[in-house]
Amino acid sequence: MNGDEKETSESSPLRLDLDPCPICLRPVNEEAFLDECFHKFCYSCIAQWMKIVSGKSKSSHQPSTLRCPMCKRESSCIIHSYDGRSFKKHYVNDCYEDRSFFSSSHKQRLQCYYSEPGSFEDVIDVLRYWKFNKYSQPSRWLEGWMTREIQALLQEEDVEIIVHHILGVIDSFSKRGEEQRRRQTSAPEAKRSEFKTLVSNAARPFLTARTDRFVHELELFLASGLSIQGYDEVYLQHMSQKAEEQPQSSTAPIPFLHIFDDDSDGPG
Amino acid sequence: MQASRARLFKELKEVQREKSADPDIKLICDDSNIFKWTALIKGPTETPYEGGVFQLAFAVPEQYPLQPPQVRFLTKIFHPNVHFKTGEICLDILKNAWSPAWTLQSVCRAIIALMAHPEADSPLNCDSGNLLRSGDNRGFNSMARMYTRLAAMPKKS
Repeated sequence: MNGDEKETSESSPLRLDLDPCPICLRPVNEEAFLDECFHKFCYSCIAQWMKIVSGKSKSSHQPSTLRCPMCKRESSCIIHSYDGRSFKKHYVNDCYEDRSFFSSSHKQRLQCYYSEPGSFEDVIDVLRYWKFNKYSQPSRWLEGWMTREIQALLQEEDVEIIVHHILGVIDSFSKRGEEQRRRQTSAPEAKRSEFKTLVSNAARPFLTARTDRFVHELELFLASGLSIQGYDEVYLQHMSQKAEEQPQSSTAPIPFLHIFDDDSDGPG
Repeated sequence: MQASRARLFKELKEVQREKSADPDIKLICDDSNIFKWTALIKGPTETPYEGGVFQLAFAVPEQYPLQPPQVRFLTKIFHPNVHFKTGEICLDILKNAWSPAWTLQSVCRAIIALMAHPEADSPLNCDSGNLLRSGDNRGFNSMARMYTRLAAMPKKS
């Protein structure tokens, strides 16, 4: 920190005091603005007020605008997390945590997307999945899993069309794969990248920047061969184990490494 | 709870710092409870309340400022929007038009404005409302003036 910065940081409490958040009257914490009038608040303050206002309306129809506490102009969203280049929008009726379809497991999955893609692939042997042509045996949990995944990512309940679109792409891929397998034409690595490209292309218009991670998670889920519940449990177990192991950075093999026992092999 | 306490402390500091900022309002916080306040407001000029000093009692909820404070007159006042017995005030900003940007100080200002501009169509004090609605301003003024003298002004010895 150089001298200049020190000076501004010293004078800033005074400066902020002149422009406090009108709700808590303290210096604004996590600047947020209403999109019509650009009045400034702490993000948590204005989000809380929005929750109160939308909870108050007795009709089942949620209000889609928020009246500014300062000037009474109606805004449709809160602008926050502005870092000089990008910002986020929090729409008035977008209290996804209050919506009935958005369960705690949706939230957990969304958190997964916000975290780094961890070492979960150590647990699930993805290459084995491709090597043994597991993809030709469709997972009966895939539709449910994908629905929850896309609901969590888009924070929207009705994702049926997107799910069916991606499932269709996967389905035709599997069928083609079955034929190719009989003719012994394709290498597992080639199949894998073909699968990833196909699904990415199908999902990208909806999931945009989240697409690659989604395909990654999808592959992990398929390779695990587990049910939704089973997958969640293994994931949670792995995360807590990882948290414990962090200090020693131990790489001891984990018992549930071998998800594929040979007796479950091959199409039924 | 914590947020409301912190905000009330801010307001207290502000009130103590700018004691002279609004000569018509004096806000006092209870010694032992930050959620209990009283205010003394001066009756606005050119109204029958002129010259009177009116006491208000504030009960601040734990969800403040997301919820409005409860305010009532402790001093008897003859006004269409104030209950004659309980001192309850009918004012939209204390109910559904509340905004968290209001402060105890600005609520006092709103009440002073209400004293100067009674809303005879939503009366809590029907006698007072009826006088105004029937156009008997003189009758209303003399009643309001009498109660101001009786309740809101120092007794002359």
